[in-house]
Amino acid sequence: MLSRIAESLFWLARYIERAEYTARILDVNFHTVLEQSKDRYRLHWDPLIVMAGEEERFRKAYGEADAQAVFEFLAFRHDNPSSIVQCVTKARENARTIRDYISREMWEDINSLYFTVNRFNPSEEMAAGPHRFCDAIRFGSHRFHGVTDATLPHDEGWEFLRVGWFIERAEMTARLVDVQYHILYDAPADIGGADNHQWMAVLKSVGAYEAYHRKYHSSIEPEKVAEMLIMHPLHPRSIRFSMTEVQAGLRAISGTGPGSYANEAERLTGKVLERLRYDIITEIFKHGLHAYLNDMLQMCGSIGEDIARSYFYYAVVA
Amino acid sequence: MASVPSQMPLQGLFGDYQVGSFYDEMFAAQGEPRAHYAKIFEKLASMVPSQFEERRQHADHSFLLQGITFTVYSDGRGTERLFPFDLIPRIIPKAEWQRIDRGLAQRVVALNLFLQDVYGKQRIFADRQIPRSLVYSCKHFMREVIGIEVPRGIHTHICGIDLVRDSKTGEFCVLEDNVRTPSGISYVLENRLVMMRTFPDAFQEYEVLPVNHYPAELSRILRSLSPRGGDDAQIVLLTPGIYNSAYFEHSFLAQQMGIELVEGRDLIVDGGIVYMKTIHGLKRVDVIYRRVDDEFLDSLTFRRDSVLGVPGLMGAYRAGNVALANAVGNGVADDKAIYAYVPAFIRYYLGEDPILRSVDTYLCSKKEDLAFVLDHLPELVVKAVGESGGYGMLMGPTADRERLEEFGKRIKADPRNYIAQPVVALSRVPSYDPALGVIEGRHVDLRPYCLYDGEKVTIVPGGLTRVALQQGSLVVNSSQGGGSKDTWVLFGED
Repeated sequence: MLSRIAESLFWLARYIERAEYTARILDVNFHTVLEQSKDRYRLHWDPLIVMAGEEERFRKAYGEADAQAVFEFLAFRHDNPSSIVQCVTKARENARTIRDYISREMWEDINSLYFTVNRFNPSEEMAAGPHRFCDAIRFGSHRFHGVTDATLPHDEGWEFLRVGWFIERAEMTARLVDVQYHILYDAPADIGGADNHQWMAVLKSVGAYEAYHRKYHSSIEPEKVAEMLIMHPLHPRSIRFSMTEVQAGLRAISGTGPGSYANEAERLTGKVLERLRYDIITEIFKHGLHAYLNDMLQMCGSIGEDIARSYFYYAVVA
Repeated sequence: MASVPSQMPLQGLFGDYQVGSFYDEMFAAQGEPRAHYAKIFEKLASMVPSQFEERRQHADHSFLLQGITFTVYSDGRGTERLFPFDLIPRIIPKAEWQRIDRGLAQRVVALNLFLQDVYGKQRIFADRQIPRSLVYSCKHFMREVIGIEVPRGIHTHICGIDLVRDSKTGEFCVLEDNVRTPSGISYVLENRLVMMRTFPDAFQEYEVLPVNHYPAELSRILRSLSPRGGDDAQIVLLTPGIYNSAYFEHSFLAQQMGIELVEGRDLIVDGGIVYMKTIHGLKRVDVIYRRVDDEFLDSLTFRRDSVLGVPGLMGAYRAGNVALANAVGNGVADDKAIYAYVPAFIRYYLGEDPILRSVDTYLCSKKEDLAFVLDHLPELVVKAVGESGGYGMLMGPTADRERLEEFGKRIKADPRNYIAQPVVALSRVPSYDPALGVIEGRHVDLRPYCLYDGEKVTIVPGGLTRVALQQGSLVVNSSQGGGSKDTWVLFGED
């Protein structure tokens, strides 16, 4: 398989995942706010901007975060490289460069998602609230997963999609947990530290609310939410689950068996997974959740870089 | 024609359709459909306009989903436009097609022999059939490829030869040869697919020859060129990338043939061998179906600023380590001044009379032709010889005085660069005008695609019918309001 195609598949998956994740968080937070007092607003909206890694750009354009501004910024802005519209556009551009490789149905599907997204009128949607828009994105992403799974041979190319999907998901979940904790624990006591509704929103945004109750049979406790999102072995949005998928994908590509590694990306993935398997949440909290997640994000970054080094780039030979 | 009552009243979609003074391919005279169009005419005439409009939108939606669009960058954001598709098919009877098929095959073989000769022994100059200076002064004549023996002697693997009907006799004649990197075949295949989806009932009335064997035939020819032989030849399609207007076609053909679609940056030449960069290391490439123009192929040999090609590619080609289709240097054969000599090539190389007529052509490099052209500019079409796609053209009858004078000056300054032809009033085929909601006559041309394997020429029946969708327009180019139609060659008797 051509390196360029592998790279495009990898990014295609990452952009779709990023669009879906952003839509989920936006939608759930918007509806949680409806049941909140006005002075809690900031607690909801600031984390979203920080998570997207675009705080500076946002402040320059809007100043204070409120529902309208955050919605517009995360969903529609063309000058926000992480906005949903931009992610879908870049996903499609990547698909376009490899449309001979992906199935016709995949191309039709992502192309139709692109047209759907661009048909939304931002001002109308902002008046109506983000649900309709975010639903279309979530559904579009699910559909693309389904079409891909059902029409693309599960060969190396499919593995690059899998690696892209799950490395992005692991990073987004890590950021979500990190940012929410950071902001909620920093909040003054009178607005309340750990807030059930906010944590409920976090769970709902990754579709893990029901699973949480099934597992813990208890009210929402921040440590348990973190444990679930970081270490649950089988929930498809936990970091551990995502990194297990990344490892499986990388091994399928290089043909490496368990217990060894073919490149730096595989070594780091193995290392991350060891920690996710054998650490316990109380320990993590003792040493500091932020440092732990930050470490994990840096490892994910290095894994991405080494995938590029191992498979995408050729040193220029004179 | 006997089965059709004459003077059938036109109605519904046809409104008050006027045949006009042109050759109309559906109607022999006002209200008199030709026999091979009778059934489709009845079907259309009996349709309620809203029914037709619904199907048209359905077809448009199919094209949009498939991304069969071209991009307009003028608004800064890159808006995608559909290449308009007209739902009314163009029909060519079998007997007429057979003549076209023979005529094109003859022409392709002669063009190939000419290219073999000018880049080889150059007998044609010794035999004084064409001035050496004329050939050597062609913009696309490549001295760099003289003496290269191309695999199996094939230069013209893929040709797109533009045909138009003479407006008086209705006879098909050749307007232009395209033997470099002709595009458009993907529209032929996609048009048929969409047509079958949206108008299945129309096919039931006719026996239409299929077109979908094109990719398999092209793939077979490309495979046969591999310098290493064997079935596991690595074949790639080299594209300039997604910003090229024909990118859809490149990806489409690569997918249909199951070959890699590569860009220049995916390839590398090492020790005279071409490799592609894969996730598991370098892999040798045997055959390149290149859709990148000659001058961009290799920055070491041609344009130094090109990033679309592969440095060192010409060296590998010269050493016989990689095959290119089409061959390098083909542009000399579709130069518009050389066009005038193609009938002579057919006589010289094949000892046959040309089956298809060419359009009369005046070479401004000839003194007497130049004088005639300058005297008759308002009646002529003037073309720059090395250009294609409608660039560098003067349409005499529609040009204003200023433009005529300016072009006259240009011709006098560089006569070798221009030829002139009488205006060909293209034939018309009924086409739907979405703005007016009725069917009117629109001008068309035809580009059949010819594949040559060194022994025989295979032509998918029909080809791309381009239609000038704007009322009265003769320009069929997609950038200027042109669209296309599905083209049917009939299997049975008319």
